[in-house]
Parts: sequence; structure tokens; C-alpha cells
Amino acid sequence: MTGQHLSTTAVVGANPIPAQAGIGLRFQHHQAVVDSKPDVAWMEVHTENYMGGGTPLRYLDTVRRDYPISLHGVGLSLGSAEGLDLTHLARIRQVAERIEPALMSEHIAWSVVGGTYLADLLPLPMTEEALSVVCRHVEQTQTYLKRRILVENPSTYLTFAHSTIPEWEFITAVAERTGCGILCDVNNIYVSAHNHGWDASTYLAALPGAMIGEIHLAGHSVRPLADGTTLRIDDHGSRVAAEVWALYEEALARFGPLPTLIEWDNHVPPLDVLLGEARQASSRLAGAAKEARRADAA
Amino acid sequence: MPTLLEVQNGLRMSLVDREDGEAATMLAPHVPPDRLDIYRNTFVTGVTKALRLSYPAVHRLVGDDFFAAAAEIFIARNPPRAAHLDQYGAEFPEFLEQFPPAAALAYLPDVARLEWAVTQAIHALDREALALSQLAALAPQDQGRVRFAPHPSIGLLRVSYPADLIWRAVLDCDDAALAALDLHPAPVRLLVQRLPAGVEVIRLDESEWRFAAALCAGQPLQAALDEATGIDAAALLARHLAAERFVGFTLAGSGEAGEMPNELSGKCSP
Repeated sequence: MTGQHLSTTAVVGANPIPAQAGIGLRFQHHQAVVDSKPDVAWMEVHTENYMGGGTPLRYLDTVRRDYPISLHGVGLSLGSAEGLDLTHLARIRQVAERIEPALMSEHIAWSVVGGTYLADLLPLPMTEEALSVVCRHVEQTQTYLKRRILVENPSTYLTFAHSTIPEWEFITAVAERTGCGILCDVNNIYVSAHNHGWDASTYLAALPGAMIGEIHLAGHSVRPLADGTTLRIDDHGSRVAAEVWALYEEALARFGPLPTLIEWDNHVPPLDVLLGEARQASSRLAGAAKEARRADAA
Repeated sequence: MPTLLEVQNGLRMSLVDREDGEAATMLAPHVPPDRLDIYRNTFVTGVTKALRLSYPAVHRLVGDDFFAAAAEIFIARNPPRAAHLDQYGAEFPEFLEQFPPAAALAYLPDVARLEWAVTQAIHALDREALALSQLAALAPQDQGRVRFAPHPSIGLLRVSYPADLIWRAVLDCDDAALAALDLHPAPVRLLVQRLPAGVEVIRLDESEWRFAAALCAGQPLQAALDEATGIDAAALLARHLAAERFVGFTLAGSGEAGEMPNELSGKCSP
């Protein structure tokens, strides 16, 4: 199956994700979400958290009746030099068959080598070799799952001496060669741009808007370094930073309204706080939608 | 120029073995090598958290610092093999048994063994229970040939300390119950099962346990009944069936199957 073919036949799902704000559903909020059915357009979960049976899957079965669901994988390791873990891919498909998600996504990263899972989204050297490995694995995944996936730009704290391709060109090439979409994590762009001295606006401007299927927003922390500079750490442990909201507005102005997810994984706050962040995204999305209608009318 | 595999092996050595040499030579010139610490920290913290979620009573018994120190050594020796951390940490009970700083807590490995069975039960795949009508439909002469397939959440353990009582008291934060426990070694036989309301841990006596173990190991029913002495095995079998501990059966000596046990459902194996 070629990327061209996939890109023209990609189906988002029977219950598509609207260009509105959603929240990352974590187990701390399972009961509250089922009880209160909060006013939010869609939800995303980590696929790996629903690979067993029992309570988590029972909650997700209930939640999916009321909300479109996106399955976001964190363990497939698309960038592994030694190939994909087919057992893991089979587990992903099993969750997908049960949940029938509207979207599925993974990362431009790797986490498995020599049969060891390094439990993190590790940075790839930005080389032609890594690009062809990632493309091969995206195609393998899309063929196996019989659907288009989105791939997310990572947040990184180091770069490799032998990298030759800017990250924004790398991710664009993956989308162009495989027909997959892009999950544009605006917080990750901000964090990586700060850490590596890139220009975040230039990064955004280089992405192909038509291929972006979703936006992620999250909080990050700032770590002071001995030399007086700072490192930004993508820890999903706080509210979205003001600078990231500003970059998000820039993304909406450039790409138009897109499904936007608030992620919060550490020090998970009460559901209301998460919903408050989603409302902040909603008001910006409404502004972008109005702008888009005005442009259409003109 | 290093290959992708060389980069990944270099990072593995840095994160797991704490040898930064290889990876450090691959970094861009302006990147300080201590950036590798951030990834190592995320790896160790993330996997420690997974271990803590699987072993909550062990964690409470030994405290944060002890647990983190033990986990760090364990993780370096037994890094995760797959991106499915619910299944990570099977070797932790044996590790604790050999871990000198834990020697004073002789019951700790048994509590860990129970917690591993509980964790397995929590995350076991969902399966429909065996319908009794399927059994009833068998010809009487075939009933002795039934080999049961246990529900994936079933665990059977033999431990030397009252791990079940310790586990319950610790997770209930019941200091009075903990203080009242007799912590001398004595054989304890346990059956673990996930029920809709949560995981249940049941004590069995030696004969009951052997019978349950024979059935769960897929021994033909007649053989298991013949070996069960001194207990009302037929009544016990009825209790296992009523508690939905089996999901299917095959018949010994024939290819005929009620329902084959299968880890991943058949239609989606890779």
C-alpha cells in the first residue's frame, strides 16, 4: 500500500474528532468523567493503559459512548533501528478494534533497542537513515492497522552531531512519503526550540498545514542550568505556559481551527482544572473559526 | 558517522548501564553530556513508578527511599523488555529475596509474590466465563476428560508467611491489624482472582489448593478428582464453576475443544 493511496483514502472514523478542545483522560478522572459527563468535545487516552482487561477498559467502554476517542500510543517506537515489536503492534490493534477510535497517533521518537524498553520518547538523529526507518515503520503500522495515523513532533534535550535534517523537514518528509498526518505538539515545539536555539515560529511556518490533524498543548517546567541559562522540560505537570498559548494562537492563525488536546500527566489536577484549560483552548478555537469564516466569505 | 543502531545502543548503555562514553561522542558539539542525565532520570523514574504501582504494599512496608534504591538496582539488572509496563517486574520478588538490605524483612518477598499475582489479575484480559450449559451438554463418559482453561486473572500461590494478611493490613493502613500479626513462617496457600468489584485473595488448605492447581494446569478432571483426597472435590469444583474461574475446556485425548485458551484473541495475533 503506498502513502499516496492512504493519503487520499484516509478515513478519520465513524465518529470524527471535531476541531474543538479535548482532554487527555487519565485514570484519576475515570469516575468523575463517567459521573459528570463534562462538556468537552472529545478525549484522548494512552493506548498502553488499556492493553489489559478489567476496570480501565470498562471505563473506556463507557466513556467512548459519549465522546469520540483518540488513541495516542507512547510505546511503538517508530524509530527503532531493529524494527517494530509486532506483539506490541498487535496489542495496539486489539485496543483499536475494541474502542474504534476516531484518531490514532504515535511519535517521531524511539524507545526500544536490543529488546530493552527505555520507557521514554528518545530523540532520533535527524538523518536520512532514521527518516527511512521511521517511514518504513509508519507504513507498516498504517498497513497493519488499516488506517492513517498521525505522528507527533517530540520534545528533546539533546541533538546529535551527525544530524543533517531540520526536525520540521524530517516530520514533513515522513508525512509526505507515507501519507500519515502530523500531530503538532505546540508545547514540544516551544520546549525544543528553546532548548536548541531554534525559532519556534519558523518551525511552525515550515509545517504543511493540510497534513496537521491535531494539536497538543501541555505544561512544561523550567530548569535553571549552572551556566545561567535554562532548560525547558516537557513534564506535562502544570498549566499551559503563556508563551505556549501565544504560539498556539500563531498555529491557529496559520492552520485554522484543529482538534486540540490538553495533556496533563504528572501532578494530575482535579478534572475542573483540566476542563478550564480546555475552555481556554476553546475560546481561541472559536476565534480562529470566526476568522476562517470571514476569510471564506471575503 | 554512527548508524542509527549505534546511536540507540549508545543511549541504552547510558540510560541502563550508566556508561555515557559512547553516547557522549555522538552529541552535537554544543550539547553538554549531562543532558543524558535527564533521559536517564526519566527512564529510572518512570520505570520505578511502574514498579511502585505493581507493588504498593512493598512500597509502603519499606518506604520511599528504600523502594527507590532497590528499584534502581533492580531496573539496571532487569530493564523492561516491552512497552507494556503493566507486565513489568515479575522478577522483583526474587530480587528482594536476594537483596541483603531487605534480609530483616523475611516476609517481604512473599508479600511481593502476592502483589505480582494481584497485579496480573488486575491487568488480565477480559474473558467470558465458561457457560455451564457447555459442560452439561457433554456425554457423561466425556466429563472426566475435561481439561479446564482458567480465567487469565486466576493466580495460585504457595507462600511461607501470611502475605495476604500483611498485604491487606498494609493497604488498609490498619496498624492494629499489622501489630497483631503472627509473622512466623507458616505455609499459606492462596487463590487470586479478579472480580467485577476488585481483586479477591482467598485462602485454601493444602488439598484444596492442589485440586485447584491441578484443574488450572489443565489436568483431566477425573485425574484431578482421583488425586484429591480428604476434601469434597465435587463441591469444590461446583464452587470454582460458580465463581467463574474457568473460561473454556478441551477434552483430553481428542482434538475437540469447548474454547481454546488464547493470550491474544485469535483474530488479531500478528
